This record gives sequence, structure tokens and C-alpha cells, in this order.
Amino acid sequence: MKTLVVDDFATMRKIVKNVLRQIDITNVTEAENGRQALDILKKDGDFELIVSDWIMPEMTGIEFLKACKDDDSVKKIPFVMVTAEAQKDSVIEAIKGGVDNYIVKPFTPDKLQEAIQKAVARSRSQQ
Amino acid sequence: MDAGFVNAYLAAAQNVFKTMVQLDVVMGKPVLKKDKHTSGEVTGVIGFAGDKKGTFSLSFSKKGAIFIYKKMVDEDAPGVTSDVVDAIGELTNIISGQTRVHIEKLGYKLSAALPTVVVGQNVEINFITKVPVISLPFAFQAGSGPEHLFLDFSFE
Repeated sequence: MKTLVVDDFATMRKIVKNVLRQIDITNVTEAENGRQALDILKKDGDFELIVSDWIMPEMTGIEFLKACKDDDSVKKIPFVMVTAEAQKDSVIEAIKGGVDNYIVKPFTPDKLQEAIQKAVARSRSQQ
Repeated sequence: MDAGFVNAYLAAAQNVFKTMVQLDVVMGKPVLKKDKHTSGEVTGVIGFAGDKKGTFSLSFSKKGAIFIYKKMVDEDAPGVTSDVVDAIGELTNIISGQTRVHIEKLGYKLSAALPTVVVGQNVEINFITKVPVISLPFAFQAGSGPEHLFLDFSFE
């Protein structure tokens, strides 16, 4: 499954990649913020999963989510938000933005795997 | 200062270290700092705004920071590399997020800035506030022996 991992912290990208590897997702491209991720998607929209942080410089995760969901060529890619933003307003904003699943840091590998699998299943059932 | 703030940091720190670092951290006696300098050698700093304004820092010795990095990503670091600095910044960010959830339950909405990390001893931090800085020391086992980390914060 071709996956785009977006986080301004290299540590978190490594942790997410380690978790993805445990569920046999090894085809991973990394981006440091939403702007860079959008550029990658414009060149290659053939991704099957996006895992993104929220708070990032240049373009935040919520801005990136909304840009993805406004773009017909990428809006069907399952989008999982992995974020330290756990306040109610943030969760509601992400749901309104069309996020397919939302997981709050800190998380265990099991929780992230479950969130990703649910997002992918949900997205497939809607197609 | 609402005592709930101390409890918020305690709960957030214990949860984050247990979940992301597989580490039990034990809080010692909180102290009021007499200065506004970093408590350790590798320090993540993040500012808050909203119903309260303030600053929070997460500080380790160099050895402690390297140990935490290895626990987080299962990779060795030869020193305080950019990867180690990145990991401490992310931990600061995660604890900040968890703490804000607890503080929201106390009736205060806060938003946070992006964290920064400073490396060095006795670096002066602008805590923004005029009230004293509270320092929460935590002990943890770092392989060969005990280590400490410090959660320092000030809100008004």
C-alpha cells in the first residue's frame, strides 16, 4: 500500500513508519509539512493512504486535509490524522474536514494500526 | 496557580512516557524555581496562549535525552544529534497536547505554538509570565542507572 507520511518531526515519521512496517506497509514517502505533501501528491496522486500530523509549519495538517478533500484526484485517499491536538474542538474540526480517522498522541502501535485499518476499510466501503 | 495544573502535567507526563517511551517516570517534590534557566542540558520549550498564557519546558541531561531517543525509535545516537533534538521536541509537543486536554477539563482553553529545543546548561528561557516557575522533577531508570527529567512551567 503506497503511503504518504506527513510530520515535521523526523522522530514521529520514524515511529509511524515502524508501525506501518508491522502491517506490511513498506512503500512509504515522507513529507515534512502539508505544502510539501501537496506537491508530492500533485506529481503522483497514486497513493493509497495518507497519515498526517496536525501542527506543522508552512501548511498545517488541517489545511492539508481540506486541500486534499477539495481535490477530486486525491480526495478518496484514506486520510488518518495523527496528532497531539486532542481538544474537542480540534476533533470536531477534523471530522468536519472529512478525516477518515483520527488518533491522538501518545498512541501504542496497536492503536495506530487499528486506526489505519479502520480508515482504509471505511474509505473502501464508500467507494 | 491552580493545583490542577500540577496534576495535569503529572498525568500527561506519566501517560506519554509510558505509551511512547515504555518508561515509568516517578515524580519527586515540586519546587518553585529561583531562576528562569533550563533545568537540564537538552530542553524542549513551548508557549501557550488562550485563557491563560505561559510556557512549558521539558528538560533532560544529555545522557537522558540520548536514552529517551533510543527508547522511542530503537536506534542508537552517538551524542546529542539533530535526531535526538527532534525527538525531544516531539515529546515536548505531545506532552503539551495531553496537558492541554487535562487543563481544558479545568475550564481553560489553550492553544500551543511549535516547540523549540535548546541544547546547553543554564540557558535562560523567557517564560513570558511574571509568576514563579514550578519545576516538577521526575526520576526514571536509564539502563545503567537513574536519570532525571524536569517539567518546568509557568501560567498566569
